[in-house]
Amino acid sequence: MNNEHYRNVNENPCHMCMPMGGILPFKGIEKSMVIIHGSQGCSTYMRRHIAEHFNEPIDVASSSLNEKGTIYGGEKNLKQGLDNLIKLYNPGLIGVLTTCLAETIGEDIDRIATSYLAERGLENYPLITVPTPGYGGSHSEGYWLAVRRIIAALARKTASHSKINIIVPNISPADIREIKRILRLMQVDYTLCPDFSDTLDRPYARPYKKIPDGGTRIDDIKNIAGAPATIQMGLTADDAFSPGKYLENEFGVPLYNIPIPMGIEGTDKFIGVLKELTGNPFPAELEMERGRLLDCMIDSHKYNFQGRSVIFGEPELVYAIARTCMENGIFPVLAATGSKAAKLHGLLLPLLASSPEQAEILLEADFTGIRERCRELKPNIAIGHSDGKFLTEREGIPLVRMGFPIHDQVGGQRLLSVGYAGTTMFLDRVTNTLLEQKHKNYRASMYEKYYARPAI
Amino acid sequence: MAIDEKTLDAILNEYPAKVKRNRKKHIIIRDSAVEHQEIEANTRTIPGIMTNRGCAFAGCKGVVLGPLKDMVHIVHGPIGCAYYSWLTRRNKAKSEDPTQNFLHYCVSTDMQESDIVFGGEKKLARMIDEVVEILGPKAITISATCPVGLIGDDIQQVAKEARKKHGVNITAYNCEGYKGVSQSAGHHIANNGLMENIIGEGDMEDPPIRYTINILGEYNIGGDSWEVERVLKEIGYQVQAVMTGNGSYEDLKNAHVAQLNLVQCHRSINYIASMLETKYGTPWLKVNFIGIKATIESLRNMALYFGDEELINKTEEVITRELEEIEPLLEPYRKICAGKTTFCFVGGSRGHHYQGLYGELGISTVLAGYEFAHRDDYEGREVIPNIKPDADSKNIPDLHVSPDESRYRLKIPQERMEELKTKIPLSYYSGMNVTMAEGSIIVDDLNHYETEEFIKILKPDIFSSGIKDKYIPHKMGIPCKQLHNYDYSGPYAGFRGSVNFARDICMSFTTPAWNFMVPPWKDKPLLEGTVAQCNGAACTVNQAR
Repeated sequence: MNNEHYRNVNENPCHMCMPMGGILPFKGIEKSMVIIHGSQGCSTYMRRHIAEHFNEPIDVASSSLNEKGTIYGGEKNLKQGLDNLIKLYNPGLIGVLTTCLAETIGEDIDRIATSYLAERGLENYPLITVPTPGYGGSHSEGYWLAVRRIIAALARKTASHSKINIIVPNISPADIREIKRILRLMQVDYTLCPDFSDTLDRPYARPYKKIPDGGTRIDDIKNIAGAPATIQMGLTADDAFSPGKYLENEFGVPLYNIPIPMGIEGTDKFIGVLKELTGNPFPAELEMERGRLLDCMIDSHKYNFQGRSVIFGEPELVYAIARTCMENGIFPVLAATGSKAAKLHGLLLPLLASSPEQAEILLEADFTGIRERCRELKPNIAIGHSDGKFLTEREGIPLVRMGFPIHDQVGGQRLLSVGYAGTTMFLDRVTNTLLEQKHKNYRASMYEKYYARPAI
Repeated sequence: MAIDEKTLDAILNEYPAKVKRNRKKHIIIRDSAVEHQEIEANTRTIPGIMTNRGCAFAGCKGVVLGPLKDMVHIVHGPIGCAYYSWLTRRNKAKSEDPTQNFLHYCVSTDMQESDIVFGGEKKLARMIDEVVEILGPKAITISATCPVGLIGDDIQQVAKEARKKHGVNITAYNCEGYKGVSQSAGHHIANNGLMENIIGEGDMEDPPIRYTINILGEYNIGGDSWEVERVLKEIGYQVQAVMTGNGSYEDLKNAHVAQLNLVQCHRSINYIASMLETKYGTPWLKVNFIGIKATIESLRNMALYFGDEELINKTEEVITRELEEIEPLLEPYRKICAGKTTFCFVGGSRGHHYQGLYGELGISTVLAGYEFAHRDDYEGREVIPNIKPDADSKNIPDLHVSPDESRYRLKIPQERMEELKTKIPLSYYSGMNVTMAEGSIIVDDLNHYETEEFIKILKPDIFSSGIKDKYIPHKMGIPCKQLHNYDYSGPYAGFRGSVNFARDICMSFTTPAWNFMVPPWKDKPLLEGTVAQCNGAACTVNQAR
C-alpha cells in the first residue's frame, strides 16, 4: 500500500480536476446550465472531454476571465456571463463552479451570486455555487460536492412523502436507466439525483433543443427532505462531500449508503433495501434476471477463474468492480485510483483480505505507477477507463473499458453494468476478453508448457 | 437562402443590446463592392456566450510545444490542464529512436492546496530532476497554468537553474490561461520561447542542400505533414524542421539553415516566420497544402522562388503524375458532392484553407470563420499597421530580434526578391475575406447560439468544425466533419489527402442513417383504403386500431 506522493512527478494521470466532476451532476438536473468562473480554457477543455465521452453537445459557459480580471476580480465578468446565459438559454437553474484561478485570487463566489440575484430581482432563482479549485481534489470529489451543494441549495423542510431518494455516483446513462427500471419493477416511488440518463444520452429528435429534456425535477429536489429514506450509492464519498450524509444530518432522512448495485451481492443489497423500505415483493421479472446472472456466473466460472485483474478509476466504481470480480474469481491483484480516497482504502482492505491472491491498493496513483506494479503483479485483464489503453499497448494487458472517460472508443454512455441484467453483460465483456486473449496464444502456450521443455 | 442585414439583425436581436453591438462587429456579409470590409477579431470573448475558444495554455502547450516529440513537456499546475492536453490534438509523430519520443507522456506537478499556499517552485525543481533521471530527454519545456503566475512561482528561474544543473535545454513558458483573449496568446508566447532558446542553438552553419526548407505551422494532424513531405522530397527539397508536427528539438535547433520557410498556419506561427527573416534573412512563403489547386500553386511558387529550371521541371513532372493518380479517384466523389454547401469554422487557418478543397469537390462555403484569428487572417497582412494594440495584446510581449552577426545571409538578391513579391506571397498573406463568395457570411468567434441560428437559415449540407459544436448539427440532422482532429481520419493534405477527404465527406452524405429519420408509419399511411362515414360501433373499432 502506498498512499503518499512518493514522487513529485505525476506521469500519465489517472484522475482529472475537481470542476470537471462538478459539471456532470448539473447536467442531470432539469433545465439546468453551468458556468465556470475562470479562464475560458477550463470550460473549453472540459466540454471537449465530456462531449467526446457522451457524443453529445455539452454546453458549459465560462466567465472568460482575463488578466484584468485577475487583478480587479472577476465579478463583472461573472455577472455579465450570467446575464447572457439566462438570455440565450433561459435555464431553470444555474450552477457556478469555480476554478484554480477564481479560488487563487480569492473570489467570494457566494457574495457575488447573492448580489447578482438581488440586483436582477431574481431572489428566488436557483443559482448554486460550488467551490471547485482544480487543486481541491479530483473529479470524483467535484462530483459529490456538486450533488451535495445542489441538494443543500434546494432542499427545505417539507411534509413527509413516499418518494425514496436515490443518489447515484458517476455511472453511465444506461446504468441510470437500468436503476430506474428496477425501481419501476419494484414499484418504488423515487427521486433519483442526478439523473443524466436522458440529458447526456439523448435520442435523435427534431427540433434541436439547446437544453435537453430530462433530468431530476427541481421540485422533486425541493421536497427531497420529506423522503422516507435516502439510498446513496456512495460509500467512498467523504462525509464532507456526501449528499446523503447532509440529508441525514440536516433533516434526519435515514441514509442507506450502499455500493453501486453491481454483481449479485451488490444488486441483492439494493433490492434488499428497497424491500425493507417498501415491503414490496420481488418481481418475477427480476427473479428471472437474477437466475440468468447466476447461470452466466456458473457457465463462465472456469474462464473467469483464470483472470487476474487490475482495476482503476473513480473510487466508487473501483469498489463495485472489485466486488464483482471477487464474486467471480477474477481476483484483483491491483486496485488503483488517482483520487486520495481514504474511504476506498478502508472498504477494499476487508474485501481483498478474503482473496486467495495477494492484492495491492494504490491511491493517488498515476498510470506510470500502475504500469510498474503491473509488471510485477502480472494481471491478465485491466478494467477501467480509456487511459488504461497504455497497459494494453505497453504491457499487453487487454482492457475492458468501463467508467469515465471513454474517449478512444464510442458507447461509454451506453455501457450497461448494473443490476442483474447489467452485471451479466459486464461479466460477458470481461469473460470474452479473457477468452480472446486465451485463444490468441492457446496452442503456442500449451506446446510451450507441455512439449517444448523437457519434463522434470 | 442567403442572409441579408435584416436577417442578421433578427439573429442578433436575441442578444442583450451591448452584446449585439459587440457581435455585430464580428460578423460580415461578404460584399466586394465595399473596398475594404473590416471585421473585429482577437478581442475579448463575451462571458457566458458559449464560445469555442480556449486559453493561452492550450495555444502554447497544447498546440505549439506539444507536438515536439523528443522533448518532455512538463505542465506546472494542478492536474486538470495536463490531463486535458494529453494527446488530444492527434498530432502524429514517429521517432528514429523510440526512447526519444515522449509524446505519449503526460507529465504534471499535480499541485495540491499546500503547493498553492507555500509555492510550487521546489516541487517543480525536484520534478525536473526526476524527469531527467527517469526519461532522459534532450530538452524539457515547462508550461504554466493559471495559479502559477498568481502565486508568483518564478518558473523562468527554476528553468535556468535546472538548465545549469543538468546541462539540458530547459525552457519555461508563462502561458497562464488568463493571458490574452484566446489560445492565440499562447501561440505567441511559445513562438517567442522557441525562437529565443532553441532555434539557432544548433551548430550547423550551412544547409545540407540548396533546397533546404522549413515547414512552419504544420502540426501533422492525421499525418498531413507526412503526405506533404512525401511530395516535397520527391521534387528534391530537404525539410530541415517542421514546426511543430512530428517536430523535434534536434531539427528545430538547426532551423536557421533553411533557405526558405513555408508558412501553412499563418496565425499560430507567423511570429517565428518574421523573426527568422529578420535574424537570418530567410524569407517566408505563405503556402496552403489543403486542396489540389492550392497545393499545386504552393509547389509552383516554391519552384519559382528558387528559380532553377531543373527544379521547375521536376515540380511540373510530379504535379502531372500526382494528378493522373488522383483525378480518376475523385470523379465519383465529385458527383455526390456537386451543388452542396458547407460551413467552415475552424481555429486560425483551416477555416480558410479548406474552402478551396471543398470548392474543388463542388461544395460551396456559405459561412466561414476563425475561433481565434486576428484581423490580418481575415483582411490580409496590410491591415497590421492599422491594428491598435489593446491591453490584452500588450500583455504578450513582442520578442525583438536583430540580424545574427555571423549567420544572417541574404538568400536571394534584393532586386529579385522585390520582383518575386509581385508574383508570389512572400512575407504576405491575403487573408480569408477576398477569397469568399459574394453574400457569404464571415464570422469571428462563432458561438453555439449563432451556430444554431445560421444552420436554421442557411441549411448547409455539411458543417465543419470541432468536437464541441459537432453534436449540435448532428442533432439537427446535418453531418459534421471535424477539421480539428479529422474524426480520427486523414491525412487530408496534398494530393492523396484530398482523396481521403472526398471519401470521408461522401461517406457523411451517403450514410444510410439519414434515410431512417422518419419512421415508415409517419412517412406513408399504414392502412390503405377509403374513408367511410363514421357510424357507431364500426367507428370505435377503427379508432382502436
